[in-house]
Amino acid sequence: MMNIPNRKEYLQQQSQSGQQIMGVLPALYPREMLWAFDILPAEIWDPPGDILHANAHLQATICPVVKRSLEFILKEPDIINAGYLFPHTCDSLQNLATQVKDLIGVPVPVYSFYNPKGEFNRTTRQYYTDILGDFQTILEQQHGSLDRKKLSTACKLGHKIDSRRLELQNARMTDRLPLSNSEYFQLIRAGEYLQPEDYLKLLDAISIPDEPIPNDKARIMVSGILPPHPDMLEYFDDLHLSLVADDLLAGSRRIPRIKLDPPQDPMEYLTERFFLLPPCSTKAGSLDERFRYLNKRIGNSQAQGVLFNIVKFCEPELFDHHLMVKALKDTGIPVLSMDTELQGGLSGQDKTRIEALGELLRDRMVS
Amino acid sequence: MSLAKSLKFKFMKDYGAPALLTFQNFKKRKPRPIPEAFGPPLKANQRLKEILTRHYFLSRYVPGVKKVAWVTSGAPVELLRAFDFYTIYPENHSALVGAKKQGADYCGIAESDGFSQDLCSYARIDLGHMLSGKTPAGKLPKPDLLFCSNNICQTVLYWYKAIAHELDIPLIHFDAPFVTTQQTEADVRYMAQQLQDMIPVLERISGKIFYLDDLEVILKRSMESSQTWGTILKEMQAKPAPMTIFDAFGHLAPIVSLRGLPVAEDYYHILLEEVQDRVARGIGAITEERYRLIWDNIAIWYKVRYLATFFAERKMNFVSATYTNAWAETTGYLDVKDPWNSMAKTYGQIILNNNLKHRLDLMKSMINDYGVHGMVMHSTRSCKPYSVGQFDLRKALNTELDLPAVILDADIADERVWSEQQIQTRLEAFCETLEDQVSAT
Repeated sequence: MMNIPNRKEYLQQQSQSGQQIMGVLPALYPREMLWAFDILPAEIWDPPGDILHANAHLQATICPVVKRSLEFILKEPDIINAGYLFPHTCDSLQNLATQVKDLIGVPVPVYSFYNPKGEFNRTTRQYYTDILGDFQTILEQQHGSLDRKKLSTACKLGHKIDSRRLELQNARMTDRLPLSNSEYFQLIRAGEYLQPEDYLKLLDAISIPDEPIPNDKARIMVSGILPPHPDMLEYFDDLHLSLVADDLLAGSRRIPRIKLDPPQDPMEYLTERFFLLPPCSTKAGSLDERFRYLNKRIGNSQAQGVLFNIVKFCEPELFDHHLMVKALKDTGIPVLSMDTELQGGLSGQDKTRIEALGELLRDRMVS
Repeated sequence: MSLAKSLKFKFMKDYGAPALLTFQNFKKRKPRPIPEAFGPPLKANQRLKEILTRHYFLSRYVPGVKKVAWVTSGAPVELLRAFDFYTIYPENHSALVGAKKQGADYCGIAESDGFSQDLCSYARIDLGHMLSGKTPAGKLPKPDLLFCSNNICQTVLYWYKAIAHELDIPLIHFDAPFVTTQQTEADVRYMAQQLQDMIPVLERISGKIFYLDDLEVILKRSMESSQTWGTILKEMQAKPAPMTIFDAFGHLAPIVSLRGLPVAEDYYHILLEEVQDRVARGIGAITEERYRLIWDNIAIWYKVRYLATFFAERKMNFVSATYTNAWAETTGYLDVKDPWNSMAKTYGQIILNNNLKHRLDLMKSMINDYGVHGMVMHSTRSCKPYSVGQFDLRKALNTELDLPAVILDADIADERVWSEQQIQTRLEAFCETLEDQVSAT
């Protein structure tokens, strides 16, 4: 059994011990640079609880990740003492960043980090290196000069975490990871708030057997922004359906596709890392590349079907989703698309649809 | 390029288009009666209609003669003009479909194909057009190239990616980093370099060689058109204002879609002359202008007439809008001597790519300069960059300027979202508040 510290309690303890904590919104940012400044990033994706105050600031048709994040920020939690970071992910988060900074106002600094969009080339690469430098300068204004040695250590630590995550991912795809769906995604998401050293210990504590563990479960890949709700994950476990691979923004889309060489020059390493991340709707690269990548993961994991877990009103995902579904159906892969508002249990209809997918996949296994 | 097609295009340009316009004028229906609340219509309306009709008409004969590019409204089109691309603006086309109250039909086609109803209606209309070939413009040429910039939204990038995938054609994207505080040197360098990187690609697609001199001429023309457009908008500071913002929504079309061409430059001189004449003679867009309003966000295309009449009957005129101002706001950065950096500055800092403090400051100065009494904000489902933050902008303006404001929850082109009763109730309450507030001062 894994012993994963509770997010809220862990961050409270960290805060009480004087740790600087920065609230980080989804999704891509140079976490190693924050570590080098002795800042612990606490990622904000889907904070629980009712949405009470954010509705006064945002329209009804804004996605729940944005709404829940704002609800969290409006509560002015004590644990966030080093500010908020808004990586540039989508139109709604882009505007939320300036809304919080320029109109609502919070008692801590608000930072942004632009992630280039579209298909990348040498110009994009140079720009990314430049903005890493700009980001460093901005952080230095609040936190003093960056210690290059610390950045180098942080990059080495990040490299170890990525490498271990890749190993675990591959182990899951090849039935060598004895974790349930719920356990696996709990483990993945612990990286959103644990100190890197603690997270690495947790990852290293998982043993990977050399030989595959017999698995007669139907195999599914999940795609989207976040893993399914814990209730849904449990239901998948109950139905003997195994989520063997993911294409999630909060999951594998944030781990480089291949194992990088150990870092030498930190800035070069961080640049290289960004450009080796898998295709993602929010980066708006080529659809063909994204489809090829999905297909490869399906092949590697021998997934028989794909679950699209779509956050309501998430425009980047919704555009890609339609074309991915079409392409997958053309190759004969069953697809189930489910909308999520991030909270609330499974409806009867959801259960029926999951059961139907499970039956279809099992029938195919038999035949 | 085929000689026969070139000759046909030339014939249509010289004879076909004029004949069509003559025929249209001849068969023109009796104009709809103008409600008493409105002043005389602008004479330039006729010229505008001719320009747009001609542009869409000639687009049918352009394949095989010129390369066709579909372009987003905020993209630096001047670069394409240097390669003589014939440009079509899907956003304009979607607005046209919306204005004809056909948005739901086109959206429905895209939705039947699997695109979500939660996506931008401009995108759904365009995808509906692509899937069905339907258009109120007769026929649109298929693109050889897609050219987009995310300086207006990320949505256009997802949307154009979908078209590029479906039609298997190249997409050039101009990545414009969002201005969170101020544009950095790295941002400008990045955008300027992207523009230069595009040259060999555009040369290959167009089959034409790039000449910097050509670009300079186009930039100069573009700059002058935008400046004239800005001057036209400033004429609306006059009391009574010579046109309404609903007129301006229409007259915006050339600066969006024909920017950099002589036809746009000429047109805005005609329009400027007319509005200046109206100002000199005290002719207002509405017969009695007692209250002056500002509009925020894109138009509700299928309800322009309804809204124009509703407000005009209450002696309220929209004299300014953040939307129409967008094509005049940043052209001051354009510099023909420094094309790449100046285009980066111009296109990188437009209102939708800039932070909300910038927008708030801009709105405050517009409210002040145009003598505005109240504000109508259109919160549109289709446009997140324009709509996210509006609630707090409204609050800030109300607190700082004591400005009455109303938010209309609607959509730019999908009329299914419109709830007439609810909106009418809101608008009436807003008008009462505004009238009380103005009469109390």
